[in-house]
Amino acid sequence: MKKLHSILNSWRFWRRFTQAAFLVAFLYLFRRAELGLTDPSASGNPLAYVNLAFRLDPLVAACAMLAGRAFVGGLLLSLLVVALTALLGRAFCGWVCPLGTLIDLVGKPIRWRAKKTNAPRRWWRPTRYALLVVILVSALLSLPLIGYFDPFAILWRALTVAVDPAFNWATGETFTYLYLNAPASVTAVSEPIYSFLSHHVLATRQAALIGAGLSGGILAGILLLERVERRFWCRNLCPLGALVSLIATVSPLRRKPAKACAGCRACESSCRMGVFDSQHRLRIQDCTLCMDCVENCPHQIASFTFQPNPKSPAAPLTPHPIPLPLIQNADRPAVDLSRRAFLASCATGIALPTLAAGTEKLGLSNPLPPLLRPPGAAGNPARFLDLCVRCGQCLKVCPTNALHPALLESGWQGIFSPQLIPRIGYCEYNCTLCAQVCPTEAIPKLLLTQKQKAVIGLAAFNKDRCLPYAEKTPCIVCEEHCPLPDKAIKWNEVEEIDAQGDPITLQQPYVVDDLCIGCGICENKCPLEGEPGVRVSPPKRNPPPTQPSIN
Amino acid sequence: MEVNRRDFLRQVAAWSAGLSAAAPILHLPLSALGQDETAAATQPSAAKTGPIVAVAKGKDYAELVTRVLKPLGGIESFVKPGQRVVVKPNIGWDRTPAQAANTHPDVVKAVVQLALAAGAKQVLVFDRPCNEPTMTYRHSGIQPAVESLGDSRAVCQLLDERKFVPVKIAKGQSLDEWLFYRDALEADCYINVPIAKHHGLAKLTLGLKNCMGVIGGNRGQIHQNIGQKLADLNTVLNPKLTIIDATRILLANGPSGGNIEDVKILDTLIASTDMVAADAYATTLFGLRPEQISSTVAAYRMGLGEMDLKKMQMVEV
Repeated sequence: MKKLHSILNSWRFWRRFTQAAFLVAFLYLFRRAELGLTDPSASGNPLAYVNLAFRLDPLVAACAMLAGRAFVGGLLLSLLVVALTALLGRAFCGWVCPLGTLIDLVGKPIRWRAKKTNAPRRWWRPTRYALLVVILVSALLSLPLIGYFDPFAILWRALTVAVDPAFNWATGETFTYLYLNAPASVTAVSEPIYSFLSHHVLATRQAALIGAGLSGGILAGILLLERVERRFWCRNLCPLGALVSLIATVSPLRRKPAKACAGCRACESSCRMGVFDSQHRLRIQDCTLCMDCVENCPHQIASFTFQPNPKSPAAPLTPHPIPLPLIQNADRPAVDLSRRAFLASCATGIALPTLAAGTEKLGLSNPLPPLLRPPGAAGNPARFLDLCVRCGQCLKVCPTNALHPALLESGWQGIFSPQLIPRIGYCEYNCTLCAQVCPTEAIPKLLLTQKQKAVIGLAAFNKDRCLPYAEKTPCIVCEEHCPLPDKAIKWNEVEEIDAQGDPITLQQPYVVDDLCIGCGICENKCPLEGEPGVRVSPPKRNPPPTQPSIN
Repeated sequence: MEVNRRDFLRQVAAWSAGLSAAAPILHLPLSALGQDETAAATQPSAAKTGPIVAVAKGKDYAELVTRVLKPLGGIESFVKPGQRVVVKPNIGWDRTPAQAANTHPDVVKAVVQLALAAGAKQVLVFDRPCNEPTMTYRHSGIQPAVESLGDSRAVCQLLDERKFVPVKIAKGQSLDEWLFYRDALEADCYINVPIAKHHGLAKLTLGLKNCMGVIGGNRGQIHQNIGQKLADLNTVLNPKLTIIDATRILLANGPSGGNIEDVKILDTLIASTDMVAADAYATTLFGLRPEQISSTVAAYRMGLGEMDLKKMQMVEV
């Protein structure tokens, strides 16, 4: 009883509890981001809640709106995080962020037998600020880089593309093996377990996505960096953390004492974020308020309190020789990005979009060859790419496994942007799930009736492959599946001589361009093995943009 | 007790011969259904032998199911207490009941209900949809209809991919082997409940074509020489009863349809133990002749059933 009391009185317990709760919530939203019980043709956006994490992310909000030159109301939810950070400091990183929690979870085994270091200053420390500047400046010039560095995007995408399909596959294969080979006494146990997992844990459908090694590798890399330093990603790389740090500088929540006491410094040596500078002062903008130092203090004198007067001695002075001009106020903790690095970051942020636009203008390459995009995106491909934060929500939710992250198909600017690959999956006629979950409205929120007219691409037959042309064999499976009420695939009946020399009446299909929306079901269902007899390619010219509905 | 088809037909033939002789008012007003020419061909024949094809018309589809089964002895002739029953509707397309691409949910529900009432241990309802299965089951209205019965014996579930097993097709002329769904093969009583509709390649999709929903593999390849392949597949399945849903039929742009203007309301059900005969009769609803449907012809040639309308005992109820 006493023990329970002491646990409930411990900051560490409540911090871990909160972390676990947010991680579970994140995974819950991840699991719900699928067809499940939602009617994909329902009006409104019944599945919109699954993108909650991204709408809480102030960096996603800033970058999407800057790069996309659009106001996205749903992203204003992130102001909540801004406000809480201004009040509580960088607690978001220590208590909320699911990637941070994951890093904490796997840290111990990854650091197994690693050399222990907690050096306060390393040359790579300011990288996250530099990244933040590059990302924001590029976004201002309409080059969205956020998706490659945002922790939520990295985590969601890795789960979607790599972890979840692999987990599903391994679990399914194991239980299928038992189902097919094990004696009845074993399956009597294994089948109920599998049934429970299928309904509550596993995805409803086995997905397979392109680039699992890349998306999963990025997450794995971040986790493995724990061998170098605890919370390496959070300390040094995370641009969202950098933004949160900037906001945290105004927080009145400060530690007492502000310095690690001479003679002990248990707090300094055990700090997961390495927030103490060379003079043993705690840099509040780096502190994630994990409360380890409060718990670990052998004299129990450390505590965090609101200190509304920033002039109090608790606010440490900047330790850096060349502080950023905009945060030069001696009362405020500074950001450790040197003026030179700041300027270099700005220059990089300008150079990258210029380079991208320049190669396009000069025709040096075709940096953005069109790809098949989610429905409604083809109307304004540039807007789509600018607003897209590569979060992977649409990849996760697509019920036919049609959407995949692009690799270099549309240039380096398009990496991880969603593309539709009809041979793997097609755009389901009665479905609007990808638009429902898109946090930035890069995929416009269309009514089902609008979406059913939104042109994704255009089908064309390959007469060297298509059976009724190439092999004088009846088929037209494509026409059967064409979902349009008036059928974008029609056929001509022709008299031919087949391979046996017998006369045969064949239905030779063709596409009515004005009717075809490029959903890709024809290519998907084409019974030919290998190269299909019909292929969908991006529309010849951009179809008129469909006005998003307000809902 | 097992009743094989031949014995059953013998019993029913004796019974219905008396019925059709005694009641000339049972003659069908077929001109309302199809072209006059085919109507003439489908006049209830004087045949006293041959398969019974029961035809019923009416707005109340639940009642219609009971009625159309009467000449065949009711559901009790097929479903015995304790049996595992499979009801195989067409749930092929993500379309609404009004769009006439799937079997009408009320018809499916009534068949399931009858089977339950006859004491079935379990009634499975399934298909292998062409569109996304979850959406298709839901939008077709069939899954909600079966679930509305609130009977745990009646299950409308998505297919379990693990249950497709390779089956040798001994009598097959165009196929040697194909993957079949285990539950369909193991059923004590397999009831085929297709919808009658237009089909771009096969001209019509009826009872024989409905077996596409219990096979695995690359089904598109069935479309090369479709008539013979369908007949081959049906040598394996051999449903005890076929009820063709022609409550509304799709006249064009089948099998997926989508245009309400292609739909014609007929409020008709056709039932027979002879799937080929049922298909042959249903063909006339579209103004076509049975010999125009390649699967009917192939199945008839293989001895799976009767396609000559004159050799069937047509009973309108």
